[in-house]
Amino acid sequence: MGEEFEAIYRAHVDQVYGLCLRMTGQSALAEDCTQECFIAAWRALPTFAGRSRMSTWLHRIAVNTVLTLRRRRPGDALREAGVLDEAVLQVDGGAEASGTLDVEAALARLPQGARDVLVLVGIYGHSHEESAAMLGIAAGTSKAQLHRARRLMAQQLGIAMEAA
Amino acid sequence: MNPSRFESLDAALASLPRDVRPGRELWPDIERAIERGSDGASARSPQVLREPQAQWPMALAASVLLASLVGALCWSVARERTTAELLAHGTRSGGAAVGASSVPVNFQLPQDAEYVAARAALERTFNERLELLAPATRERVRADLATIRKANADIGAALAQDPASPLLWQLMRNTWQQEINLYSSVAQTTQSMLTRSSRS
Repeated sequence: MGEEFEAIYRAHVDQVYGLCLRMTGQSALAEDCTQECFIAAWRALPTFAGRSRMSTWLHRIAVNTVLTLRRRRPGDALREAGVLDEAVLQVDGGAEASGTLDVEAALARLPQGARDVLVLVGIYGHSHEESAAMLGIAAGTSKAQLHRARRLMAQQLGIAMEAA
Repeated sequence: MNPSRFESLDAALASLPRDVRPGRELWPDIERAIERGSDGASARSPQVLREPQAQWPMALAASVLLASLVGALCWSVARERTTAELLAHGTRSGGAAVGASSVPVNFQLPQDAEYVAARAALERTFNERLELLAPATRERVRADLATIRKANADIGAALAQDPASPLLWQLMRNTWQQEINLYSSVAQTTQSMLTRSSRS
C-alpha cells in the first residue's frame, strides 16, 4: 500500500502544493501544509469511498489543513500585508512569465476570503458548493466572494469589468 | 496602471499553472511520519510537531510580559538610590550573604559548563550584595526575580507541551538573559558603592 500511496502522492503533489502556496503565500508553509495533507490523506484513505475524484478529496484535505494552520497562527501579518514569498512569484517560467507574475501578485493581494474562493473556483475549477463545503461557508457567500475577487483582480490587472 | 496583456480575467486566470512543484522533496518526511504511525507511534507530521498543540494560556503571556518589564522597572528604581543611602544600609547590614539565597533557584538552564560557572559566580555575588541594598529596593529586586522565575516556569510548562517551538525557546532564553541582567545590575550597582567605601 505504501508504494501505491506514493504513486498517488506523485500524481497529485504539484497540484496540492500549488493550491496550498496560493492560499498561504509562503513556500515553507505551503510545503508544511502539503506534507500534512498527504499524511492526513494516508490516515483517511480507508474512508475514501470514491464518491468524488481523488483530486477533489485531496483538495478538501489540503484546504482543511491550511485553515487549521491559520487558526494556529492568527493574524498572518506577512500574508495579509501582501508581502510574499518569492516562490509565489516563481511559479511560471514560460513565455507568458511576466503576465503570469502580475496575475499571481494580484491574486496574492486579494483579501483572504476572496482569494480563497478565487483559488478554489477560478483556478482549480471547483463548484461553489464544493468551495463552500471546503471553506465552511455558505454557497451564497462563495459566490459573493468570487464576484468581489474578480472585481478586485480586474482593477489590479487593468482589465475592463465588462471583459472580467 | 499598465494595461493588461490579457483580454479577460478568465484568460488571466487560465494563464496560471494549476501544478506548482515544491522547492524540495516532501515525500521522505511524509513517509517517515506514515511509518511512525504504522508502528503505533505518533503519526503526527513534522509540521504538527513544530506547531503549538494548544493555545498558550494567558497567564503565560502575562508573565512573559511582566518579566520583560522587570529589568527596566527595577533598575530605574535601584539606580535612583543614592550611593550614600545604599552604603549606609550596607554598613548596617554588614554585607551578610543572606536574602535571595533563601529563595530556591529553580531555573531551567543551559548545560554549557562555562555558562553554568559564570551564572553560579554571578548568583553568589548577587546573594552577597543584595543585602547592601535598601530594604525597599531589595524587596523590589526579589519580587522582580520571582516574576522572572514565574515566567521561566510557565514557559517551561508550555515547552513541555510544545518542545519544538522556536518562539517558546526564544522566550526561555529571554528569561535566562533577564536573570543574568538582574544579577549583573545588582553586582554593578553595589560594586560602585564598595569602591567608594574603600576609598573613604
